[in-house]
Amino acid sequence: MKIDPSFIWTAFVNLLSAIPTTLLITAVSVTAGFLIGLAAAFARIYKVPLLSQIATAYVTFIRGTPMLTHLLLIYFGLPVLVDALSAQMGWGFKSSSIPMIWFAFISFSITAGAYMSEVIRSGLLAVNRGQLEAAYSIGMTTWQALRRIVFPQALAVSLPNLSNSVIGMLHGSTLAFTVSVVDINAQAQIVASTNWKFFESYLAAAAIFWGLTLLIERLTAIIEKRINLYNRGGVA
Amino acid sequence: MIQLTDISKSYGKNAVLKSIDLTVNKGEVVVILGPSGSGKTTLLRCVNYLEKPNGGEIAIGDYRVQCKRATKKEIHELRQRSAMVFQQYNLFKHKTAIENVMEGLVVVKKLPKAEARQKSIALLEKVGLADKLDAYPSQLSGGQQQRVGIARALALEPEVILFDEPTSALDPELVGEVLSVIRKIAKEGITMIVVTHEMGFARDVANHVVFMDEGVIVEQAPPSELFHNPREERTKQFLKRITPELNYSI
Repeated sequence: MKIDPSFIWTAFVNLLSAIPTTLLITAVSVTAGFLIGLAAAFARIYKVPLLSQIATAYVTFIRGTPMLTHLLLIYFGLPVLVDALSAQMGWGFKSSSIPMIWFAFISFSITAGAYMSEVIRSGLLAVNRGQLEAAYSIGMTTWQALRRIVFPQALAVSLPNLSNSVIGMLHGSTLAFTVSVVDINAQAQIVASTNWKFFESYLAAAAIFWGLTLLIERLTAIIEKRINLYNRGGVA
Repeated sequence: MIQLTDISKSYGKNAVLKSIDLTVNKGEVVVILGPSGSGKTTLLRCVNYLEKPNGGEIAIGDYRVQCKRATKKEIHELRQRSAMVFQQYNLFKHKTAIENVMEGLVVVKKLPKAEARQKSIALLEKVGLADKLDAYPSQLSGGQQQRVGIARALALEPEVILFDEPTSALDPELVGEVLSVIRKIAKEGITMIVVTHEMGFARDVANHVVFMDEGVIVEQAPPSELFHNPREERTKQFLKRITPELNYSI
């Protein structure tokens, strides 16, 4: 087999059109995952009856099963559920009208939520109880104390791990091809098989993923520098 | 006036406070003394509802709360009438000195930012930190942090300021600067309840000294009386142990 270096560039240009799909899947799953994770983390920290048990079961099940399995379960399970519900309620809604990418959105959000809930929980637990007490002592409500005092500090602590989650979801989004969503990697496969130049195509895909990851790392570094101004570093 | 009536608190079977009654008049400085585990810090934290008493009544000014059935709203109301200065300072780590003082004014008292800022600057000047407005807690010494803590408490103009061993975490050489600030504001007539081991401070500043042991108030009196003429045996023992400088035997 001979490598055709010039085709790497051709493939690269061809793959650019798939970047928005990859970024969209990543952004949606990370954002929704963050919210799910926040709720799960809170339910567990405050030991909310029932909710905390549900959250614990959710985290252990999702972390105990592969992301691809989640996608397949949602892909094959959700339509059955939706159609049954639709028939029951007489909505006249067909699961076949759900765009494919929505299966990726939903299942990846569920995946991200489980991992992120543990990141957020560790961040919240890292905030000293005295911070909350001080907020109470100046007359804040629980919500004010959480929003203004606890969250910002928890976020600062969690940031390195959150960026890990974002990168994980970026790379995980390649699984969406299983339900025929064309992301960067899928586009590479298409370009490769039509030209019989597999290595070159995937090399181009790798370059794009690396570039996007570098971007996320840079962005995290900037945010970290901003919100961690108050910290002179733990052990350093 | 602060009035605690029949306050009790237990953790499981361990009774930490046993039916405490205490009255603090407006403008008074009350110092609570006692060995560790006597319940003095718990009592102080109950006033601010950082600990939930199992029973009794707390009254600050004209606001009364029955501890057994206190609602969230009542607790919130009660907390706004007091402020706490903590042993570990507990400054908001992600906020600068001036932001720490402004926080309560802006978020709780809903003051406009500019006004809150003016007020906070004046308070930080008062505690001698006019040059540290924009420093984060991690950039301040323990004594400086505690003085910011005092400014934060003062800002809210509470009816009483609660001091929980405000100098216990400080290097000996930093204790003086904090005590002199507390002295200064005591002279302004602010009502204070102070848990401390600083006997000199208790003698000079307190109007009233309370000695606690094993969850009860053993004795209370003006400092001159309690220090020089304690009535209870338990008080005598305690004072003897913590003021060894008065004991010249070798």
